[in-house]
Amino acid sequence: MSAVQAQSLPAPRRVGTERPQRRLRPAPERAARPKPRLAYAVIALGGVAVIIVAQLLLSIAVTQGAYEIDALQMQQTTLTRDEQKLSEDLDRVESPQFLATKAEGLGMVPNSDPVYLRLSDGAVLGQPTAAEGGAGASAPLVPNALIDGVPPGAQHKPGETPVEGTPGHSSGAAPETPGGPPTVPVDGGLPTPATH
Amino acid sequence: MRRILLSAAVLVALVGVFVVRLIDIQIVRAAELNEQAQEARSEPVTVYGARGDIVDANGKVLADSVMRYDIVLSPKQASKAVVEREVPDPENPEKTKDVVVPLPELAAELGAVVGLTGDQVQGIITSELAEDPDADYAYVSKLVDTETYEQVKALGIPWVYADEHPSRRYPNGAVAGNLIGFMDADGNPGAGLELGEDKCLASEDGQVSYLHSLQDWVKIPGTEIVHKQARDGGTLKLTIDTDLQWEVQRIAEAQRQAVGASWAMVTVMEAKTGRLLAVADVPTVDPNDPGASDKADRGSRSFTAPFEPGSTFKALTAASVINAGLADPYSKIVAPYRIVFPNGANINDSSRHDDQQLTLTGVLIESSNTGMSQFGELMTDRARYDDMLKFGLGTETEVGFPAEASGDLHGDPDEDWDNQTKYATMFGQGLTTTAVQIASVYQTIANGGVRMPVTLVDSCVSEDGTVTDAPAQGEQVVSAEAAAETSQMLERVYQDAWLSEKWNIPGYRVAAKTGTAQVPDGNGGYLKEYLVSVSGFAPADDPQFVVSVSYMNAVKMNSSAASAPVFQEVMSQVLKKYRTVPSGAQAPELPATW
Repeated sequence: MSAVQAQSLPAPRRVGTERPQRRLRPAPERAARPKPRLAYAVIALGGVAVIIVAQLLLSIAVTQGAYEIDALQMQQTTLTRDEQKLSEDLDRVESPQFLATKAEGLGMVPNSDPVYLRLSDGAVLGQPTAAEGGAGASAPLVPNALIDGVPPGAQHKPGETPVEGTPGHSSGAAPETPGGPPTVPVDGGLPTPATH
Repeated sequence: MRRILLSAAVLVALVGVFVVRLIDIQIVRAAELNEQAQEARSEPVTVYGARGDIVDANGKVLADSVMRYDIVLSPKQASKAVVEREVPDPENPEKTKDVVVPLPELAAELGAVVGLTGDQVQGIITSELAEDPDADYAYVSKLVDTETYEQVKALGIPWVYADEHPSRRYPNGAVAGNLIGFMDADGNPGAGLELGEDKCLASEDGQVSYLHSLQDWVKIPGTEIVHKQARDGGTLKLTIDTDLQWEVQRIAEAQRQAVGASWAMVTVMEAKTGRLLAVADVPTVDPNDPGASDKADRGSRSFTAPFEPGSTFKALTAASVINAGLADPYSKIVAPYRIVFPNGANINDSSRHDDQQLTLTGVLIESSNTGMSQFGELMTDRARYDDMLKFGLGTETEVGFPAEASGDLHGDPDEDWDNQTKYATMFGQGLTTTAVQIASVYQTIANGGVRMPVTLVDSCVSEDGTVTDAPAQGEQVVSAEAAAETSQMLERVYQDAWLSEKWNIPGYRVAAKTGTAQVPDGNGGYLKEYLVSVSGFAPADDPQFVVSVSYMNAVKMNSSAASAPVFQEVMSQVLKKYRTVPSGAQAPELPATW
């Protein structure tokens, strides 16, 4: 009921006494704001400057790094090429054709009749037979285009680099063989050591 | 008020236009524009994936990928550019001065490095210019190695440069060249395992692009874009041993030249596993230079060229008959020189002789066709045919070599074998096998009747380390007793047959059988040529290795005497290489006659 009443009745006039009171309240004294300190400005600007300098330095470092990387990559490429060259040389001289030619150059012959000495009881297994050598010079039998032009070991002289065409060896590194290449006994007997 | 509204509307419209444009550029067409920008400032670079290596059983490299270079010049620049070089000033040794180097001198320098004369290099330039005055690209030399490339670079001729060209190299030359195959001139696999195992070996080239500084082409960090990741090929590991393969090829080729044979095939197989240790086909192609070999010699006949095996096949028939329980090594027959069977088949032996009273052992020692036929007919053709299939004949081996032949068992035994073929197949005529199939037959006999899958490729190790292995499941073909008795008979053959002096390996018990097979002319008849062979295994008391040797048309010695020394040398080499302990006991005695 009271709500209906409130609507039907004219709104009560506000008591006018308070309004002028508010209006006339004296403006509050502004608290004396402290003057902005210089430090803040310095910190802010300094921060900006530090960031800029840091970014600059980082950028320089990255650029510097890029050149370093580039130089190192160039070096890596060169080294990879060197490695490839050397491993190609190594593979060539490791091939069975090259090894066999070298071995034959030293006067070695294959023995196709294996004999074993059993250590436990000293028994000799198999029938010892003198090596008569198998098929001769091997290079033409199993061709290898990669070692064409690499001189066989038989022709190298003592003191020379063992593998011609492989750079980087000093002649001093090769073991000296006094009295020429080792000779192979042809009378069938084993060479006897001269020591007593 | 209206003015304010108007300016606001204009402002909104203007901002709207900017926003639309911004969205269009930053979002809608962003990818496209980025790409255009990237293209404008950088160039795509190919990153080469390396084709996989082929290595032997011990990891020794048989084929690997290397970088080679194509030397290219620009004819246009060569004719116009003035090349200056700093040389010491003769008047003032402290200083240098620039001297113009004339074209002929540069051409001569370049030619000397790549193996041409200066005139040839100039010829390339003038002929290219004659065709097209603006020619900017002409090959001087293709596929030069790193050393040559560096020498060319050191010359510092501005109109000469080099293109990278990934290539293939075979450090051991012709060793296993028959198996490895080679790459053709365009870098595609041409033959052999390079072709057959391309799935394992193939690599994928990748592509990257990056921004670079203008002057010195230094890569700007963080700008690299990988368009496609490069992928290296897998490593293909074979069961072959390089050193043994070389030795076998050497022995085979020496004898081939000595006896004047057209070609020869030697197979070495592990008896207990079916792994191929060496497969020699001589003459052998050098994959570094396939053009140097005849076209027919560039593959592996051991896999691709089937032949009528002849008497080495009698071991299979004997094992079959014993396995069926119809005979044993002591079973007796009378072997005449010629025999005519009720169905009209007419069989004779290779040389004239009186009737011989032979056991099955004796039939093998004398390699009697008439004797073998009488044992073979104890079985039905169908049963013998089924055994042949179980021995792995008539189908390609598990190796799956490119263009591998299956051999031809002359169709179905009941429908396609004529009366003569029914008997001929007992001693290895009228049907064809490959050399590897014959080795597999002897492997089965050596391994207690269990046939192991023939293996040439051990595994494929892909770039990410995944290993693909070949399966190794054996199959019992004939009983262990049948295999053991056949093996003992083959030992008597090794000891007592006419070649026993030629193939003697002191200290070891060996089982072996010879064959001298007529070569069919393709029209039902036979040529005057023979394929002579020896197959066997050792040590017979504990078989480890199978060796099979075949020589085609050895004009200077047309009998198995041509192949026996090779069998002896190869088998000795194998036994020595794998440190096989010599046999203790003697081979058991078996009567050959009665």
